[in-house]
Amino acid sequence: MLMMKAGVLRPARLVSLRKLNLDSISNGKDGVLVVGAMTTLRELERSAAVKEGWPVITRALRTLSNVRVRNVATVGGALAHADPHMDLPPLLSALGARATIAGPQGERSAPIESLYAGYLENTLRRGELITHIEIPPLGKRRAAYLKCTTRSADDWPALGMAVVLDGGEARIWVSAATDKPTRLLAAEKILKGQITDEKALRQAGAAAAEEVHIESDLHGSADYKKQLIRVYLARAVHEARNAVH
Amino acid sequence: MRREIRFRLNGEAVSAQVAPHETLVELLQEGFGLYGARESCGQGLCGCCTVLVDGRAVSGCLYLASLVEDSDVRTIEDGGELDAVQQAFIEASGFQCGFCTPGFVLMTRQLLDEIPDPSEDDIKHYLSGNLCRCGAYPEIIAAVKLAARKRKGV
Repeated sequence: MLMMKAGVLRPARLVSLRKLNLDSISNGKDGVLVVGAMTTLRELERSAAVKEGWPVITRALRTLSNVRVRNVATVGGALAHADPHMDLPPLLSALGARATIAGPQGERSAPIESLYAGYLENTLRRGELITHIEIPPLGKRRAAYLKCTTRSADDWPALGMAVVLDGGEARIWVSAATDKPTRLLAAEKILKGQITDEKALRQAGAAAAEEVHIESDLHGSADYKKQLIRVYLARAVHEARNAVH
Repeated sequence: MRREIRFRLNGEAVSAQVAPHETLVELLQEGFGLYGARESCGQGLCGCCTVLVDGRAVSGCLYLASLVEDSDVRTIEDGGELDAVQQAFIEASGFQCGFCTPGFVLMTRQLLDEIPDPSEDDIKHYLSGNLCRCGAYPEIIAAVKLAARKRKGV
C-alpha cells in the first residue's frame, strides 16, 4: 500500500485475498505451528499458542511498528514485501520456519530465507502466493530477537538480529544492516561449544561484522551498523540463553 | 471501475461507489463529508487518520475503502454525545491544537475495550503510533487513565 501511494508500484489491478480463508493459526504435525498468510500480525501476537510455544515471536511482534499497523498487516505480506528492515524474516529464518507457496504448478515448500534475493526483491515466481508458514517447535532451543532503532522507538531498525541456541550451537541471522536476512556462519563457527565464553563472543561479533556486506541508509552508516553487529551479537546470545519459555 | 459497497458507518447502513485504489480517508471525506479522520504522515506512523473497523483501529490513509464492505466503521463523529474518553480528554486537557485528537480518542477506545484498566506501559504501547506535535503526551496519558476510571464509573 505504501509502495503504491509512493508511486513505486503502479498496479493495473488490485486483487483482494481476503476470501481465501488463509487467516487461521493451527497445529500441524509434530508440533509444527501452521499460520495462514492472511493472519494479521496482531492475531499472531495475541495467539495463546504462539505465546506458549514461541514466546520470542510474541515479544518481537510487540516491538513491530504500532498496534494500528499490526491490526491490518498480514504475515504473508510482511514476508513477501522483502524489505530487509522487517523483523519476521530474520527471526523465522533462524527458527527454521518454511513457507508454503501456491502457484500455477501447484504447491511448493521453501525455507523462509530462500524467499529473498535482495533489497525489496523476493524469489516468488509469477502467479505464486505464500499461503501458509510452518514454524517447527522450539523444543529445548532458546531464542531471542533484538533490534536497534535509531530515530524513534518504533522506527524501522538499523539492525535486527535473531539468535536460536540449540545446546552448544547457535544459529544467528542478521537483517536491516544487510540487504536481506543473512546467516552469520563465521560467527556461528567461532561460537560452537563456546556460547558462554566472553572472549569467543567478542571474536564472533568481530567476525560477524566482517563477514557480511553492510548497507548505509537513513538509519545508520555502514560503519555504525558494523559496530552495532559487534555489540548486539553478544547481547542477543545472552538474551537467548536467559530466555524464559 | 467503480463498485458499490455497503457497510455500516457510525451505526447507519450506507452504500458508496468506490474505486479500487481509493482509501478509507478519501471515502469518508469526499463521500460522506466526515473530516475527523485526516491524512497527515500518509505512512501509518502518526495516527491522525485512525478509524475503527469492526472495533479495531486502522490507519484510514492506508486502508482501501473497498475493504470495509460489510464492516462496522466508526469515526470520531460517531454518536450524539461525548463518550467517557472524549470527556476525559477535555477534563484532563489532553490536547492543544486538537489535530491529532480524534486518532488518540479512537485508539484509546480500542485500548480500553481490550484492557479496561491499563498500566502506563500499556497506554504508551497502544498510543506509540499516535503523534502529538504539540507534545501534550503527559496530559494525554492522564486523560486515558481518567477515561478508564470514568468507564468503570469510579
